[in-house]
This record gives sequence, structure tokens and C-alpha cells, in this order.
Amino acid sequence: MSAQNAAAGGGDRAGSEPADDVLVEEEQSNSLPSLMTPSITSGMSSSMDMPRKRKGSTDNQDSKLAMISDADMEDDQNRSDGEDQHVKIKCFREPHSQIEKRRRDKMNNLIDKLSAMIPTCNPMSRKLDKLTVLRMAVQHLKSLKGSASSFSEASSKPSFLPEEELKHLVLKAADGFLFVVGCDRGKIVFVSESVTKILNYSRAELIGQSLFDYIHPKDMGKVKEQLSASELHPRERLIDAKTGLQVQADLPIGASRLCSGARRSFFCRMKYNKIPVKIEEKETQANTSKKKESQKYCTVHCTGYMRSWPTSQMGAEGEGEGDKQDSSYFSCLVAVGRVHSHSAPQVNGEVRVKPTEFVTRYAMDGKFTFVDQRATTILGYLPQELLGTSCYEYFHQDDLLHLADRHRKVLRSREKIETNCYKFKTKYGSFVTLQSQWFSFVNPWNKEVEYIVSTNTVISYDNSRTARSGHKSEQSGNSKASEDCKKSLPVIPGISSTSGTMIYAGSIGTQIANELLDFNKLNSSPSSGNVSPFSLTQEKSPQTLNQITNSVPNGETSDMEIPGKSSSDGEPQGASFPGGDSLMGENSQLDLDSVVGPSLNSFSTDEAAMAVIMSLLETDTNLGEAVDFEEMHWSL
Amino acid sequence: SVRAHLDKPSVIRLTLSYIRLQTLLKVHEKRNSLSGLDPLDENSMYLKILEGFLMVLSTLGDMIFLSDNVSKYMGLSQTELMGHNIFEYTHPCDHEEIRHNLRLTAGWCVLNQKRDFVVRIKSALTHRGRVGNLKSTTWKVLHCQGRVKLCAASSSVSCVLLTCRPLPLSHTLLSTHTFTSQHSMDMRFTYCDQRVTSLLGYRPEELLGRSIYDLCHTLDTSCLNKNHLNLCLKSQSVSGRYRMLVRSGGYVWVESHSAVIPGVQPSRSRPRPNPSQPLCILCVTYILSQKQQLPDVKIFKAFILKLLFSILKFQTNPMCNIALDEKVIYGQKKQLPDVKIFKAFILKLLLFSILKFQSNPMCNSALDENVK
Repeated sequence: MSAQNAAAGGGDRAGSEPADDVLVEEEQSNSLPSLMTPSITSGMSSSMDMPRKRKGSTDNQDSKLAMISDADMEDDQNRSDGEDQHVKIKCFREPHSQIEKRRRDKMNNLIDKLSAMIPTCNPMSRKLDKLTVLRMAVQHLKSLKGSASSFSEASSKPSFLPEEELKHLVLKAADGFLFVVGCDRGKIVFVSESVTKILNYSRAELIGQSLFDYIHPKDMGKVKEQLSASELHPRERLIDAKTGLQVQADLPIGASRLCSGARRSFFCRMKYNKIPVKIEEKETQANTSKKKESQKYCTVHCTGYMRSWPTSQMGAEGEGEGDKQDSSYFSCLVAVGRVHSHSAPQVNGEVRVKPTEFVTRYAMDGKFTFVDQRATTILGYLPQELLGTSCYEYFHQDDLLHLADRHRKVLRSREKIETNCYKFKTKYGSFVTLQSQWFSFVNPWNKEVEYIVSTNTVISYDNSRTARSGHKSEQSGNSKASEDCKKSLPVIPGISSTSGTMIYAGSIGTQIANELLDFNKLNSSPSSGNVSPFSLTQEKSPQTLNQITNSVPNGETSDMEIPGKSSSDGEPQGASFPGGDSLMGENSQLDLDSVVGPSLNSFSTDEAAMAVIMSLLETDTNLGEAVDFEEMHWSL
Repeated sequence: SVRAHLDKPSVIRLTLSYIRLQTLLKVHEKRNSLSGLDPLDENSMYLKILEGFLMVLSTLGDMIFLSDNVSKYMGLSQTELMGHNIFEYTHPCDHEEIRHNLRLTAGWCVLNQKRDFVVRIKSALTHRGRVGNLKSTTWKVLHCQGRVKLCAASSSVSCVLLTCRPLPLSHTLLSTHTFTSQHSMDMRFTYCDQRVTSLLGYRPEELLGRSIYDLCHTLDTSCLNKNHLNLCLKSQSVSGRYRMLVRSGGYVWVESHSAVIPGVQPSRSRPRPNPSQPLCILCVTYILSQKQQLPDVKIFKAFILKLLFSILKFQTNPMCNIALDEKVIYGQKKQLPDVKIFKAFILKLLLFSILKFQSNPMCNSALDENVK
């Protein structure tokens, strides 16, 4: 009886795992003996002794089941009385009545839930007794079964859901469609109904067509490779499931590629129709929409396996393969295509960028490592002019203090730090007022700061600098700047200025970063191994930077320095910039600040670019005469 | 025979599930007409192809329905599990993430209805895939993807449909548009396949020691961060789509499937994992798209080209000039020869500007010392 079970339970549990390490066994599907009444219990458990012993399991597996669930279950879950056995053995002090009470509560709970689900029970105001609830449940089930006429009871595997329904659920969950394509020509042999919802093509349109008509041209090679026979690709690249590494295929190549069951998984871009196709109108709409559609593609993840059928089977249906090959097998790919979301991956709310914003990334010491292209229209610098340079070179002197302070803060905290408004020098000498949000991104593994992400918002364009209307004023602009910088930079607390070294703006960032590294080294423990590669590279670059800034006494970047810093275009680039400058100089109408500045505020990017270029082209001269373009040397 | 082994509470549990499921289907599904000829026995294929099982979860975490192949992956049968709560079977550290994914979203925005996450779940299978005994509890990593099904009538019927696939996935044939790479646990490259050169332009030697975060677009930082965290905690991960910078400028969309394994040398064909070796991360990265320019550049370049053509047009059609450019009207000024040179120069300037926009920020960073 129950005592017998309890004893059995106790005996078996002796050799069992501690509660936190338990496992639910599978052997008997769901064979929880009902211990509601001892008689039933013993009856059931004895009848189950045989199968259980056959599998070498204990007959207390069910109490194990209970034990596990008890560890983290919630009250209204059903685990039955195996648990009570366990409880009984473990704490003899708990009265039987309490156990019984718990059992009853569980049962009641379940029945309450059931009554909530049954439509007929719901409106009843008074609580129904259990028997009624159960009776109504049975009726409800009968009615459900009656209405769902699309499946037959006679299927060999009784299941909760008929397969048809299951298929619908799977497709709904996966946002996918099944397709079968022949390997030789990519002919679509079969496609499931769900494709209409996903790609907006009807089934009839697709079946019989070649898959390659619907794939992005650049992905055709990829798909062909996945479908094709082996001769073209002698080297197999398979991935071993356990290690994830490439395994050199020792198997004979032909056999492994085309054998049934060989898996395929790839991404490709498939066309989709913008206009959803209605089934009734498919004839007319399909044709017109095909012509009009503007080749929209979505990324589809296809997973499936190769399968081959003897061609003799395929002849019967209209979907069968038309031309029978000599080989007796028709091999094809059976796969499910799941659509990746159409939109871009989720943009983190922190980094949402609006039109007058741009994003930059600094290394720990304030050097640019990534510059959004939008920055060019706002700041005037091209990305590679900024990369590798320290942001402090562009900050206005008055702001250096508070920005250095923020820099320090952001390296030490994980939150977003807002700066105040500060001025950033643009290429043309003027300043734009920016306000930024910084946060440092930390590598989750070694907890180092990888970089600082800065989202910069433009507050205003500053036109206070005089317009550079000529070469002279450019020079004067330069000299003015150099004057500014000849005054010593404001003393920033914490930044040492050893005698003999001038403080370069760039070195501020480096020093702040070094502070942090030292701080980390002192305080934290053995991630020093990880720190060193980083600090090595960091140590190298300040020296090179210093070399460059040494050559420029004023520490500003003016146009003359650009050739040294930017990419290896070298000569031609060097030639063009001063040329450009002189050109601008000649034309007294040109006033880049007034052109570039306020116009950027309101215009879109190409209009801004247009303004710049049109202003360059705007001359008094007639543009009427033909230019012989062949004469020009398009050295690229 | 299953029925004989069910006890009363189980019966009720399963009944509840069944009713919920039917309610769900009734509310949402219009029963489509039968698909007609079905020579391929379509219905049974789906789960086999997807290599996973279907799970329907209520907003409280009750597993309303599980497809019957769940026993293949978890070692527990459908009837054992249905109706129970998923929080009993998953790793406690993942509970918060599960709760977050079960939350119904207020809006009807389609995007918010998609779910994609990785959890650790208890499995009764041994490493070799056989149903194990008590001592062999393992955590299996499941990749769950699906959507929310909202029911306007009653939110208690709303649920989340998920297909769950255990990671890592089985043998697959890699295409030419993928490359594999190994990383140390902080995501710095320790090895990279040769294919990366043809796909992204970097030589493998250039990448060693670099962190993957340097290679990627700043806006995708959060996606990569999540991927990295999944790897550290759960040992497997599927990243979403993110952008990798290409050496010559611009970026491509990629997706990575990664796993943490004990360090193995890539050259050995039959690696034997050595427990004393440090862990490393193995990544298979699929390239999804062609190189894209950053959007402003595209606009800028398109505009430059338009401008060039319009310059050409100006040359060839005097009528055009007269109509558009008033300055021209004031006498037919002879074009000075300087203008020709000037225009040629302008065009060169524009072209060089285009070229510069092509450049890759990555190359100009500390990686390339020639720049300095």
C-alpha cells in the first residue's frame, strides 16, 4: 500500500542524487501512479513494476519526478503524490492530514482552472462542485472533437493536434514555408501554401518555375553550390556538430553530398511581391505585378536536407519531374525557408540617431576609431582625417576642462554620461556646438573598456569666425589660431606637465586613459594578462601621434596637415587640397562658412553637398563651351 | 497505453492543455481547405526539417502544447511535459529573459511580435543522445524563435508560439559565403579562415588579436554584446543580423552562429577536446548581403554623378544654358581656356572625394601603421 510504496521510495532514494541535481526520467511516459487511494496505488505500481524493471529503472522514478518539480514548482502545478511519499519519508513529523490537504488543494486548483476554461462553466456565479465541472468538461471536449472534423481518429498515432493543425502552428511560429526544389535545375517542385503570406506569390505562380528566378542575382552562386553535384567543389566543408570545426571529408564525396539526409543551411535573398496576391485574382494581378515590381528582396534562412526519390514514383502527379534522367534517382532539396525580419536589427534606444546627429567611437584615450559618414557634412572632415586623432585636438579650449572630466567619468561608470554643450572645430576653422552622450562599452568577458560610443547632437552652427574670403584671410586664420594656442593650455587637474614637454591637446586623452589603466592595475586582479595587449598598442600610438603634433606647433589641424595624416593617396590628394583652397580664395563670393554652415542645418545631405559644389562651380565664366573630356586624365 | 498510466491530476492537466489549444486555434486559425494532393506527406516534414520541436507557451509560462518529438530533444515525453510550467525546467538565470519574452506587447506592431532568444533547459539525454539515468542531467541550449499570438478577446488565451532548436546544429555544408573563426573568450580573433579575404578583404593575419567589436558597425554594438553574453553564460549563441566593416570601405550584413568549446587546434581533423586547455569561441559567420555603402555616401555619390552629367549637358546644349543660367545671357562670353582646366580640375576633385568616401575607417586606425 502506501507504506509499501513509501518503503520502496525510501530504499531507492538512498542511492539517488541530491535534489538539485535530479533528472526526470523518461522511460515510462507519464506513469505517475495515482496515490489517491492506496489500493489503486499498489495496483498500479505493481503493474508497472515489470516495465520499469525491464528498463532498469527504479520504481520510484515517479517520486523522483515529484521531487524535482517540488524543488521549483509552483503551487498550482500538478505533481502527484509521489511527492507526498517523499515528504513523508523526509520529515516524519508532518502529519498525514497536511499532506492530504495539499493533495486536495492541488486537485481543487486544477479543477478551478478547468472550470475557468470551459465556456459553459464560466458564467455560473456560484462555484460548481467538482463532479459537475468534470462532467461539463467532458461535454465540452466532445463538442470540440465533434467540430474538428478535419482529422480522423483512426490515425495510428493519437495526438493532441492533428498534423494539419500542427503544421499551421509551426508555420505560424516560424514564419516559414516549405519548398522542394530539384537539384539539377532548381525547379520548384512543391511549395506550401504559407508562401502566399510570406512572399506574396501564389502557389501556382511558383510551382514549376525555377527557383533561380526568385533569388537575388548575387546569391545565385551560393544557392547553386548548395544544390549542385559535387564535381565543382572537391573540397567539402562540413561542420562537425560537436566541435563546430571544419572537418575534412573523408567520405567519398559524391555519396555524402547527395545522400538523403545530408543537411543544408544557408541564407539567401528572395524576391517578394509588394502587393499581396489574392487567390481569386491571381491570374491578372500576378502578371501585372511581376512587371511592375521593383525587385524587393528579403533575407530567407533556408534549412533542410537532401532527399532523393526513385523517379518511377514521380511520374503520376503533375508536379512530377518532367524529364527523367538516366539515373534512377531524383534528388532535391527539401527545406523550410524562414524569413528574417525585414527591418534592420534593433537599434538600441541609446543610439537612436536623428538627422542632426552623428555617431562616433573613441578608443579609451579619446582617439577616433569610427566616424559616422554624417559627420562629414557637419564637421567637414572626412572620416579618415579624424581616425587616429585625438578628439581633444578639436575641442575648444574652454571646453577641455569639463570634457576631460566627463571622459574620466565615463571610463569609470557604465552609464550614459551627458556632456554640456561644447564647441568642436570643423575643418574650415569654425566651430559647431555639439552636445554628446557618451557611454563606454565594456567587453563582457574581460570587463575592459572596448571603446566609448558617442552620440553627438548638433546644437548650433557657429558663424562667429570671420569668413575666409581669401588666401590672406586663411593665413590670418591660421595665425590667429596659432596665437590662441601659443597661450598655454589651461591647467587641467590631474594632467601633469613635466618640464620640457608641451601639453598637446591629444595627450590629455592619453593621460586620462593611462590613469584608468593604472587604477585598474592597482585595484583589480589578474586581468592584467588581458590588459597588456591593449596597453601595448595604446603606448605605441601616442608616440606616433606626438611625432605628428610635434610638427605642428599650434596643435590644430589645419588643411596643410591633412596629407600627412590621411590615407595613402599622398600626392594627388595633397595637390588637390591646396588647389581647392586657392580656388576658393580667388573667388571672393565664396564664403564657405555661410554656405556650409547654416545650409546644413536645414538641408539634406545631398543638398548640402550640392551647395558646396555649386559654389565651387559658380563663376562668372560661361559654361557654355564644350569641354573635351577625353583630354583629362582620369587618374584614379 | 499512455492513458493507463495517467493519474487524475495529469488527466486534468492534459485536458486543460487541450482545451486551451483548441480555443487558441479556433480564435486565430481559419481552417484552410485541405491542401489537396500531397505526395510528399508534407505535414510530417516540418519538424523534421527544422530539427526542433514546437512549443506553445502561455503568458505565465505554462507549456500549453509541445509537439511529440520533444522527447527526442529533451528526453521527456509530450504527455509528461504538457501543462507544466517552463520555469520548472529552465536554468534559473534565464528566467528573467524568458519572462521578458513572454510579455505581451501593447502595440500591434508586427516587429514587436517576434521572439528570438536562447535558453538553457534540462534534458534527460546523455551526451550520446540516449535517454539517461538519474545521474546525467544536462543543460541543453535551445534557440527559440517564434511569435506572439495575441487574442483580442481575452489576454489569457494569448500565447507565444516558438520553434525550439537545440544548439549546436548538426552537420551542414558551408557555402563559399561563410567563414569560420576562432576567438578567445573576449572575442579577439585567434584564428580565421582564409575565406575572409575574399569576403571582407582582410587577411587573416590582420585580424589576429583584433576584437570583433572593432570590426563592426557601432550601431550594432548591442546585438554583439548580447551575443557575447549568451556565449559566456550559455555557451551557444545565434546572433541576429549585424554589420561588419569591409576593408575597402562600407559594410556587409552578416549573421554568426557561435559556440564555446575547449580550445582545439584548427589544423587537427579529429580534435580531442582537452579539458586543460582554455576555452575558446568558435564562430561561423554567414554573409548575407553585398557590400553596402553607408547611406549618405550613396546619396552623395549619386548626386555627384548627376552633377557630372548635368555638366556634360550644359556643354552640349546652349539652349539649356540660356534658359537656366542668366549670367550667360549677358553676352556670349568666350570661354576662357582656363575654364576648361578649371572644370577638369573640379571634376578631378569630385572624383577624389568619391574615392575618399570609399575608405574604410578600420584601415586607418591603429591597425595600419603606415598611415601614421
